[in-house]
Amino acid sequence: MHDSPASPLLRRRLRQGRDRLATALITAGGIGVIAAVMAIGVFLFVEVLPLFWHGASTAPQVNVDTLWLPQSYPGLDEPVYRWEPALPEGDPGPRFSLAPLAWGTLEAAAWSLVVAVPLALGAAAHSALFMSRRLRAAIKPTLELMEALPGVVIGFLAGLVLAPWLEAHLGLGLTLLLLVPPGVVLGGALWSRLPGRLRRRLPLGWSALWLLPWLLLLWSLAKWLAPWLEGWWFDGDLRAWLAVHLGLDYVSRNAIIVGMAMGFAVMPTIYALAEDALSGVPTSLAEGAQALGATRWQTLCRVVLPAAAPGVFSAVMIGAGRAVGETMIVLIASGNTALMTASPLDGLRSLAASIAIELPEAAPGGTHYRVLLLAALLLFLFTFLVNTLAEVVRGRLRRRYRRMGDSP
Amino acid sequence: MSLTWRRPGRARLPRGEGPWAWLAAGSVSLSLLLLALLLGLLAVRGLGTFWPSEVAQLTLTDGSTVAGRPVKTSPLPDGEGRERLYRTDNRDLNGDIWTWIPVDDIEREAYPRDLVVLERSRWSAFIGRLVAWRPADGEQREGAAAWEALQASLAEHRRQRDTIERLKERRLLPLARRLEAEGEVPALVASLEDVQARIRALRAAMKGDLVVMESVDGRRIRQPVEEIMRARRPNAMSSVDRFLAWGHRVWRFLSEGPRAGNVEDGVWPAIFGTILMVMLMSLLVTPFGVLAAVYLNEVAHQGRLTRLVRIGVRNLAGVPSIVYGVFGLGVFVYGIGGQIDRWFFEQTLPSPTFGTGGLLWSSLTLALLTLPVVIVATEEGLSRIPDRQREGALALGATRLEMLTRVVLPMAMPAMLTGVILAVARAAGEVAPLMLVGVAKLAPQVPLDGEFPYLHLERKFMHLGYHIFDTAFHGNDVQAAMPIVYGSALLLVLVILVLNLTAIFLRHHLRSRHGSLSRY
Repeated sequence: MHDSPASPLLRRRLRQGRDRLATALITAGGIGVIAAVMAIGVFLFVEVLPLFWHGASTAPQVNVDTLWLPQSYPGLDEPVYRWEPALPEGDPGPRFSLAPLAWGTLEAAAWSLVVAVPLALGAAAHSALFMSRRLRAAIKPTLELMEALPGVVIGFLAGLVLAPWLEAHLGLGLTLLLLVPPGVVLGGALWSRLPGRLRRRLPLGWSALWLLPWLLLLWSLAKWLAPWLEGWWFDGDLRAWLAVHLGLDYVSRNAIIVGMAMGFAVMPTIYALAEDALSGVPTSLAEGAQALGATRWQTLCRVVLPAAAPGVFSAVMIGAGRAVGETMIVLIASGNTALMTASPLDGLRSLAASIAIELPEAAPGGTHYRVLLLAALLLFLFTFLVNTLAEVVRGRLRRRYRRMGDSP
Repeated sequence: MSLTWRRPGRARLPRGEGPWAWLAAGSVSLSLLLLALLLGLLAVRGLGTFWPSEVAQLTLTDGSTVAGRPVKTSPLPDGEGRERLYRTDNRDLNGDIWTWIPVDDIEREAYPRDLVVLERSRWSAFIGRLVAWRPADGEQREGAAAWEALQASLAEHRRQRDTIERLKERRLLPLARRLEAEGEVPALVASLEDVQARIRALRAAMKGDLVVMESVDGRRIRQPVEEIMRARRPNAMSSVDRFLAWGHRVWRFLSEGPRAGNVEDGVWPAIFGTILMVMLMSLLVTPFGVLAAVYLNEVAHQGRLTRLVRIGVRNLAGVPSIVYGVFGLGVFVYGIGGQIDRWFFEQTLPSPTFGTGGLLWSSLTLALLTLPVVIVATEEGLSRIPDRQREGALALGATRLEMLTRVVLPMAMPAMLTGVILAVARAAGEVAPLMLVGVAKLAPQVPLDGEFPYLHLERKFMHLGYHIFDTAFHGNDVQAAMPIVYGSALLLVLVILVLNLTAIFLRHHLRSRHGSLSRY
């Protein structure tokens, strides 16, 4: 174009033509890309449809009842839920009941939320209201890094390090669980008894760091207390006590292990979103409450948290969505036994893990293949709905903050 | 809040906040502690497993002798006392490489300097004493002379192995390829036979040397030298030697292929596969992601529909990765791949070429998976650019295309880069979808080589994350796989941490720059 001495009019036409072409290309490309991404749901739906819509396809072996209700199989006394897709054709034939898989998925997600939610919300509250600004600028990216840790590494550590350790030190695990929360509170009580000068050296804003040695101290205390506690309460062996008194069999890779590992993986997500919601509350609100004499914790409970509740809720929702879909951690740390028991000490098998294990072997177009695709569709719908809900709630919240900030 | 401390003289103690505030503080500390524990464990085990530790010689109470490296100690099943796991190697003599020994049974523990560890290409390593070195021709040597002779002969063998490798690589393979292409030309056949004869001669020269080894409990074996890869006396090594040996082992871990069911040597093909796949993926995801973001933010009418689409794209980032894997398998592998096979590779059917998992499908699937990440990050960058920049450009007579390419996109560059880096970091750690669309436990060929068309998109490849999963959970001997697994895990985490740190740094840089831009 630089060497064409053509008239300015022609050049302008050329430029405008190029602009129109580029805009058309961008529009086409953009819509194409977005359509491709959105095609996932459509594809799954279309592939799953033949399962239920008996057209020309071969007689399907499943319907809504066989997938979700207990079935009576020959040779068994009562109707049961069974996921045994690999049994050979004929008698007894493969058994497709999605119920135990869905149960396993929800159980794993529930336990991981039990671990992650208190940790994440506590951390978010602390870093939004108490933590010194400099420390917060360092902690937030650190926890963001934690979010990026690959699931396969967390799962491997949970399955091959944490699971055997906890199996051997069940008593210590329980002692830690019982000891750490009161221990931390005790640490706070001791801190307020410290002489003023020392206390100024250890300000509350940096307590996240100076509590670390205290936690290690609690750990060694727990180690010392554990045999004593186990001997006193549980006849010297917690595992045997569980088996005798509660009838629970301890499986090495169980729902608790999955919950701990996945809770660790999900916690940073919830933390980041909840912290954003809490620290996004207009400061005039918190300052007003504190000026009226509220402590910071009272401010948090009565003013900040109610204002930010939708954001915190959506953070937990997004965390739940992640926990439901996480594959590698459950696959590695759960033992993959399709059970429907409420005991957290049993193994489980999740939808995502089943897909990862079985789909490469399932014949394309067969019933097994389509049932697994149905599982994928369920995961897709669930996470999509949960995330949409969370996103809508968050959008509302953002507008609310803006209003609150505008009207002093 | 913290200002109260800075005011001199009026430092007031804050009121008590009650137990919940402390629990909240404790949860931050606990998370940090857990993260530190995880990273520390990975670093210590990942780097420490390659350390050439000392070999203990144990005399047990029943009079027998065992030599091995201690691995771990745990309580005996009956609760009385403890037992220790030793890696005793010598699979050809013992049938196993592990021995559990109750700690109470150990009478004496010693670290004799003359214990030799042989790394062999067959069986496992051998721990024992060197009795004699017997060359094919020449006289037998014993004692210190035998050790020196063995080292010299090992160096010689290594040189010859290298020569053979070079001959194969530079002469034999090209000749074979030309023969295949040009048919049976007599000159070619002759030179091929010549090379083969030279290789045979070199191989024959390597045969014949033997060492006689004795295990600590007195059983002797005759070990051909050609099967020995390295010989060390770990108890006699100085700390500098140890460090060098450790560095060498780490280097082999990074640069060599796996051996003996993926539990020995290195993970180079997995590193290479991961990098290649991720590079292909970023080549695919960057243009499309930026295109979609530009469309959404600059071209599309900002109405209700666009807002819905934006929420939809955001939510796709939260859809489980395995669902993308399912999509990749159903659409790319079985759908498109199967069609390509029917059109272009009919002669090889029913064995599939593109109709099975491979590099191309994996990168495409991961590109789709990371597309929302790039779109969201780019859009964020675009929306941070103040409108007066665009208006200024348009007012000066630029068309929309010129405004985009000259003003808006250069300013949004760091945001795009952040998005791509985050996408790469996410893709590098993602394993579940790859299990469906093309990762392999052990790929015989790397997808990139000197053969036309150089980049083999249809081949399966190895991946670090899957390597961890597979060696740790599908191997025969989990304990033996631990060094490799820990090493791979550390490597993967390091790569991802570095990528994320870069992204965080870039984003910070971007915020501070645009913060100053949009203030007035």
